[in-house]
Amino acid sequence: MRIVIAGGSSEVDYLIKLLKKRHHQLIVINKEREYCEYLSTANEMSVFFGDPSRKYTLEDAGIANSDVIVALSANDAENLVICQLAKRCFGVKKAIAILRNPKNVNVFRNLGVNTAFSASMLIAQTIEKLSIVDELVQSLSIEDEKIVLSEIKIAADAAVGGRALRELDPPVNFIVSCIFRDPEVVIPNGSTTIRPDDKLVIVSTPADQEAILAFLQKKADHA
Amino acid sequence: MKRDKILVIGLGRFGSGIAVRLSLSGEDVIAIDKDDDSFRKLADTYSGYQLVGDVLDVDILENAGIRQAKTVIATTDDDNVNIMVAEIASRIYGVQEVFLRLVDQDKAVLIESQNVHPIFPYLLSMAEFDRIRGPKGGESR
Repeated sequence: MRIVIAGGSSEVDYLIKLLKKRHHQLIVINKEREYCEYLSTANEMSVFFGDPSRKYTLEDAGIANSDVIVALSANDAENLVICQLAKRCFGVKKAIAILRNPKNVNVFRNLGVNTAFSASMLIAQTIEKLSIVDELVQSLSIEDEKIVLSEIKIAADAAVGGRALRELDPPVNFIVSCIFRDPEVVIPNGSTTIRPDDKLVIVSTPADQEAILAFLQKKADHA
Repeated sequence: MKRDKILVIGLGRFGSGIAVRLSLSGEDVIAIDKDDDSFRKLADTYSGYQLVGDVLDVDILENAGIRQAKTVIATTDDDNVNIMVAEIASRIYGVQEVFLRLVDQDKAVLIESQNVHPIFPYLLSMAEFDRIRGPKGGESR
C-alpha cells in the first residue's frame, strides 16, 4: 500500500519503522524542518518539509492516488483540511485522523472523515473492555465497533468444558474463530470439543459480548 | 426554535469591526475568541455578548448558541480553523448563512456550497490595486 503520513511528532518515527517493516510505500510530510532531517536520517528515506494542509505541499509530495493518508497534527482543524484535501483533490482512498479533542471524533464523522480516533477515546474504551471481567484477556473492536473480537480462557470447572461446539446452547449467537491450545492453534468446526485451559477467540457484536462471556464462564453444576 | 443570533468567531481587526457594525445595526451578536485580550479591540459601542473559548470544541459553539444562529462569520487568523467552523456551522448545525475569511484560495474547494461565502483578502487587494491603477496601467502593459 502507498501510505501518506502527514504531520505529527514523536509517533511518526515509530510508525515509519513499523510500516516499512511491512513493506509499505511511505510518503512522509512534516512542517518541522529539524524533525524532517532527523526522520530522514534515521530511516534512510526522503521526508517532505512543508505544511501538509496546503494543497501545493500535498501535490509536490506526490500523494495522488495513495491508498491511505494519516493526519497526525496536534491541531484538529489542520487534520480536517489535510484529510479533505487528500480525498477530494488527490483521490486518496482512505483518510485517518488522530485527534486531540475526543469530541471531534463525531464531528469528523459528520463531515465525512469516518476513521477518526483520539488517544483518550481509545484509552477509555480499552479500560472499559478490560474491566468487564478478569478472565477476558483481550478484546478488540473492528469495523467502527460493530464487531468485537474477544479472547477468553476456559476455566477448569467451566460448564462448557468437554462439550463439542455444536452441543452448546448459547443465549446469543457467536463464532469461535480459533482456539489456542498450547502449542497448537485449532480452527474449530462443530465437532471440536472445548477443553479446560483453551483460549477461545470469539467474534460477536459488542452488545452480546457480556452474555457470551457469562455463558462460557458458567461453572458446571455438578463440579 | 427561532434563529436570530449572529456568531462572530475570531476577533482580529476584521472580526471586531464586523461585530461592532452588526451590533450597532441592532443584531444579536455573540463574539468569540480564544484569547481574552482580543476583546479589547471591540469598540465601546459594541453591545453584544463576549465569549472566551476554543471553537474547535463543539461545546463552546453550542454554549455560544450555534443552534439559534442565523449567521456565522469565521474570521480567525487560521484558514483551517475557519474552514472547520464553516463546515460545522453549515453541515452539522444547518446555519443558513456562513462567511469565512480564507488567505489560501486553494482551500475554497472544501467549502463550496450555496450557503457558504468565502472572502479572499488576496482577491480584494488585487481588485483594489487594479482599480487604483486604473485603465492607464492596463495600456502601458
